Amino acid sequence: MASAAVTAAPSREWLRDPVLLLPAAVAAGLAVGWLGVHEHVAGSRVAADLALAWSLTIASIVALERPRWRRASWLLAAAAFALLVADLEWASPRALSTFGLALQGLWAALLIQLALTFPDGRPWSRAAVFAMVAAYAVTVGGQLAADRAQEIASIAVALLVLFLVLRRLHGLRGPARRAQAPLLVAFAVTIGTGLFWLGSLLAADAGSYSVQTVVRVVALTIPVGVVAGIGWSRLRRPRAAELVVDLQRDSASMRERLARALDDPTLDVAYRLGDGRYVDAGGRPLELPHGDGRAITTVTAGGEEIAALLHDPALLDEPALVDSVRATAALVLENERLAAEVRSQLAEVRASRGRIVAAGDAERRRIERNLHDGAQQRLVTLSVALGLEASGADPETAQLLSRAQDDVEQAITELRDLARGIHPTLLRDEGLGAAVEALARRTPLPVAVRSTLRQRLPDSVELAAYFVVAEALTNVVKHASASQASVLLVRGHQDLRVVIDDDGVGGAHIEPDSGLAGLRDRLEALDATLRIESAAGGGTTVCAVLPCA
Amino acid sequence: MCDDSTVQKRVLIVDDHQPFRAVARELLERAGYVVSGEAAGASEALAAVAADAPDAVLLDVQLPDGDGFAVAMALAATDGPAVVLISSREASDYGRRVTACGARGFIPKSKLSAAAFGALVD
Repeated sequence: MASAAVTAAPSREWLRDPVLLLPAAVAAGLAVGWLGVHEHVAGSRVAADLALAWSLTIASIVALERPRWRRASWLLAAAAFALLVADLEWASPRALSTFGLALQGLWAALLIQLALTFPDGRPWSRAAVFAMVAAYAVTVGGQLAADRAQEIASIAVALLVLFLVLRRLHGLRGPARRAQAPLLVAFAVTIGTGLFWLGSLLAADAGSYSVQTVVRVVALTIPVGVVAGIGWSRLRRPRAAELVVDLQRDSASMRERLARALDDPTLDVAYRLGDGRYVDAGGRPLELPHGDGRAITTVTAGGEEIAALLHDPALLDEPALVDSVRATAALVLENERLAAEVRSQLAEVRASRGRIVAAGDAERRRIERNLHDGAQQRLVTLSVALGLEASGADPETAQLLSRAQDDVEQAITELRDLARGIHPTLLRDEGLGAAVEALARRTPLPVAVRSTLRQRLPDSVELAAYFVVAEALTNVVKHASASQASVLLVRGHQDLRVVIDDDGVGGAHIEPDSGLAGLRDRLEALDATLRIESAAGGGTTVCAVLPCA
Repeated sequence: MCDDSTVQKRVLIVDDHQPFRAVARELLERAGYVVSGEAAGASEALAAVAADAPDAVLLDVQLPDGDGFAVAMALAATDGPAVVLISSREASDYGRRVTACGARGFIPKSKLSAAAFGALVD
């Protein structure tokens, strides 16, 4: 993926050395100046026109510094010449005068387009497109309409533009704010003055040259705003030099440090793994965004892409800043990338362990079902049939048959216990509380069960908790010489706590090959913890904490 | 072995395992019950109850198209025949559902006998 930060340079070629623009503006300005003096136009008005046209021209050349401002630069130059052409209204020949009058408001419409498409030449919104079209219609097309209708329409358009500009200003952040706010503020002030002029037209019913002059003087802030935006952005560059030190010293996350260095709070770092996928610093998979809203700058080390910075497209206007951050970040990001890669692999291993446990559980359910539907079903039928035959047989045969039935009964019981240990039906159907209570009833010593469970929990959590209780109670019966035991199931906000307590001899611990140790994979797949407290003579407490949201 | 009141009791046997149905039929018939029909699944059972109006149903819990508890509840809701649940699992494997479904009682399949059945339905 090519870096977006370095692709835009060729656009400056069109006027690398603006030999034509500046002399042309000077010449046109001098011609207009001569015309004004010759036709006895007020000196202040002539001076205001020349000042505005020439500063717009200079701003147009300065704006070329920014690749994305190319169209803005064109619009500034066009507005400058439109302003001078409009002054042909002073000329004596009627044709020239009419021509100048017809283009009277074009310069303002061009500046409105500049504002509503700033900085990259694309309109901000549909409302902006509408306002631009309306501006051209009232300034140029409006010359054909009645004066009063044009004035009212102009006021409406100006108010809409003012609203759009103020809303845009309100939403600007970070680097975009530095670069664009000065122009937009200047524009809002100029529109405000223009509204005042339009209002005076409506009231006095006659154009006032002095107010027109004031509007032009205020409009001088627009070229100043363009230059100020670029200057303000440049002021920030020394920070990039500090970045080398800052990036290696600071304890904040890499993302935060880069966001601060580039002054873009929305910045994200996507680390590129060996297999081409992207992950965040925590190793979680990440999709690179497509489309207008975000820009992507790649960071390479040793010719290989190691990360992508996802940021505000406004940063593309400061390629020098982005480049220096990029170069510095490459030094530090490699370590972060390796860490992210390890985290990603860890997450994969954990997910796969969870899947293995879940697959095992599904298999257990299947085996339990098969035992029940197959062998157990046949043995049960056999047992009933034996009983039936015994009831009608002679005493000797009956005794034989009933002994056979007892054996079959025994087999059924063993099979049932086996099936239950593989996967308890009651747990699946009725949940943990009921299954643990049944477990307690089958345990050959008194077991008190207390549960705060109100709702079902995820299958994996229920099954793990059930096996912990089953294993702990088996141990109590086998080793503890206890007279009673208790099971506590407590549902917390984020977890399930399972505590099995007995009053036996204590001194137990988790043996490497014991049943409890065998539950470790199952528990770790759930991020659960298992503790055992068992002082000699003090009974045993087994406590498992299973996270579940 | 059975008094007059049981002689005419008509029983529907519901179980998806044909050999078991055969043994159960033999067991019940020897004890003097009339087996009104057999069903291999939940919907078949409900249809047979509607058609034959038996006095009692011997109902397996695990059925291919549903479970016996649902069938028992449906029958209890319409004041239908006495229901005796049977299963190759034990009652404790099903918890509260055994008592909550409206059945007269539960017999583990291997303990099924005319006496156990009669004690629940007569």
